[in-house]
Amino acid sequence: MRPLWTMAISDLRQRARDKSVFIFGIAVPLALMGVLNLVIGNLLSRDLTPVTVAVSVPVGDEAGQSLVGTLRSLGDIDGVGGFDVRVRPVSPSDVRGLVAGDEADLGLTVPDGFGAALLQGAPKDVTVVDGGGGIENDVVISVVTGTVDRYRAATVAATAAGRVGLPASDLAAIGREVATSLPTIALTEGRASDEQLSTTGALVAGQAGLFLLFTVGFGVLGLVNEREQGTLARLRSMPMRPGLIVAAKALVSFILGVVATTVLLTAGSLLFDVDFGSPLAVAVLVLCAVTAGTSITFVIARIARTAEQSNVAQSIVALVLGIAGGAFFPLNAGGVLGTLLDANPVGAFIRGLGITSGGGGVGDIGVPVLVLLVFAVAMVGVSRVVPDRGDAL
Amino acid sequence: MRTDGATAEPTGRGDVLVVDHLVRRFGDLTAVDGVSFRIAAGETYGLLGPNGAGKTTIISMVAGLIAPDEGTVTVAGEQMGRTAVAPKRHIGLVPQDLAVYPELTARENLVLFGRLQGMTGPQLTARVAEVTELIGLTGRAKDPTKEYSGGMKRRLNIGIGLLHRPTLLILDEPTVGVDPQSRNQILESVERLSVEGMAVLYTTHYMEEAERLCDRIGIIDSGVLQAEGTRDELVRLTGAVDHIRLSGTGDTHAAAEALRALPSVSQVDVDRRELRLTVGDAPSAVAQVVTRATDAGMSLADVEITRPDLESVFLHLTGKALRD
Ligand SMILES: Nc1ncnc2c1ncn2[C@@H]1O[C@H](COP(=O)(O)OP(=O)(O)O)[C@@H](O)[C@H]1O
Ligand SMILES: [Mg+2]
Repeated sequence: MRPLWTMAISDLRQRARDKSVFIFGIAVPLALMGVLNLVIGNLLSRDLTPVTVAVSVPVGDEAGQSLVGTLRSLGDIDGVGGFDVRVRPVSPSDVRGLVAGDEADLGLTVPDGFGAALLQGAPKDVTVVDGGGGIENDVVISVVTGTVDRYRAATVAATAAGRVGLPASDLAAIGREVATSLPTIALTEGRASDEQLSTTGALVAGQAGLFLLFTVGFGVLGLVNEREQGTLARLRSMPMRPGLIVAAKALVSFILGVVATTVLLTAGSLLFDVDFGSPLAVAVLVLCAVTAGTSITFVIARIARTAEQSNVAQSIVALVLGIAGGAFFPLNAGGVLGTLLDANPVGAFIRGLGITSGGGGVGDIGVPVLVLLVFAVAMVGVSRVVPDRGDAL
Repeated sequence: MRTDGATAEPTGRGDVLVVDHLVRRFGDLTAVDGVSFRIAAGETYGLLGPNGAGKTTIISMVAGLIAPDEGTVTVAGEQMGRTAVAPKRHIGLVPQDLAVYPELTARENLVLFGRLQGMTGPQLTARVAEVTELIGLTGRAKDPTKEYSGGMKRRLNIGIGLLHRPTLLILDEPTVGVDPQSRNQILESVERLSVEGMAVLYTTHYMEEAERLCDRIGIIDSGVLQAEGTRDELVRLTGAVDHIRLSGTGDTHAAAEALRALPSVSQVDVDRRELRLTVGDAPSAVAQVVTRATDAGMSLADVEITRPDLESVFLHLTGKALRD
């Protein structure tokens, strides 16, 4: 055990002297947080202005009314602060005029027999008149489109049931049931826990997660450097188990990663006024994320022949995982791609911090912790299998 | 003396290193091909051969950095291997590439490797000071080594290898790319170590270094140990002999007659004012030769010794020049 610490301490001393860890592990990410916070932060956290929607709905159309209800409820959703939707019920002939006369930002015409058509599995289109407003109009339109799609899906399901012999009365009931019990759409649906982070919080978490992947490189990838420098040969001639050399590097990666990430999260939360919640839960996340990050460097150290190659590989991996994990902007995808994105250590780290900042404790971060640890085990496994091109490990 | 890589004899008492039938391949290339030799305690053994001969590969197996494909290395009676710990305590490696940390000072480099060798406390501190003095870096011991000249780094590289007083010091071309002054310093310190009783394995492609430092020399080419022995034994292999050339005025014929009577002189050729003598060992014969010629009435203007060197041995064995 003594040689392990002897090597690790000597390594840390060298890293401290050449300053690069400090620059790339702490200074650069902090600066980036500041810049990104200015650029993206202002863009995303801009308050949305109220929207007036002129809607005509045929009297007694249940589905049409529920659509209007959905629009009204937009103002109640957290996190879209101050997004107020004023719904103005009007007659069909007035819709266009109101929008044209700037009395409404948006017009919606629900056609006669909308609900009935839905129940027959042949839905009619809702007509949208866009007054050319900003992002607010787009939000409303997407909500309407989403709602109508839901209805369509529900009636298709109901019609399918009819084909296998349901009586028409039941069919109508089912259609009504599905349409009205649908969740209130878009903005609440798919809300990942990371959205409990403010825009700035997500930035700090994302940059900390991304740069963690660079910082851990200063440990294990140092092996490639030592090989070029000739010191690896000398280390291997010392009376100790060769595995200790790699273990010392991993220890250095780990220590640097934990220190840098802790500094980043602390400085980030002080500078940008972000609260990540339970320090214990955050600490657990940091330890797991650093473990996952360090595991990647084992694979790279095997593949890279020169220090230059290892740096390039490290940068590519960090950026790809960082972007896919949502270090710069949230990415959403379903299916296989979504699962792949979810398996990403940066993404898991951000999601975990989302949970803790939403008040979650150690018991609530099981999923991100599991993702991070499984990732680490998988990477170490891969590094055992990959042929050692440089004779480094 | 052997002229091929025959099996090493059973471990003798004093043998610090026994290398037995080492083979190492890199893909299709057999970099080391059945090499055997042994080094006795306190002996300096040289591996002399051109670039690419396989010297570093042999050293890497001796120091347990890479595993041989065939054969064994035994250091101080223990079998060397990549994961072996015990035999590594007995060796000090001075790699061909500078193996020092540029961000650390000479002192810190020495202390780090001293610790890894198991040294601690006052014993380590004292030895570090001693070695720093030995390699002439006392004044600069607290500067980062990246600020050192090439020669200073080389000296530190050697200092780290001998810090823990290894039974066997392994030096891989320690003078390559070094200025003449540092080079001489390095050669002197190796000579001193061997006087102190450290066994040394020294590789080089400079025949003068091998001649000057080594008790025995193995000549290596294309991964094969072509011959080994003392310098004189190797030279005898070629059938070449020493010559002493005398030139001057006076009675050259009388001098020639007198010199022919000397047991150390096997042949004398007279060519006008010049005598060319064939002798067994020129350095030991030259004083007597000069006295005898002067006594016989010759007044000498010039004396020149020519000896076959390892260069000619290499040429004789491989048909190639040692240096490319
Ligand atoms: N790691 C390696 N991979 C492939 N070939 C190698 C490797 N190391 C050495 N060689 C080859 O083995 C031969 C002997 O090399 P080396 O032992 O370094 O020679 P020397 O030290 O005498 O100059 C050379 O042809 C060299 O190219
Ligand atoms: Mg070499």
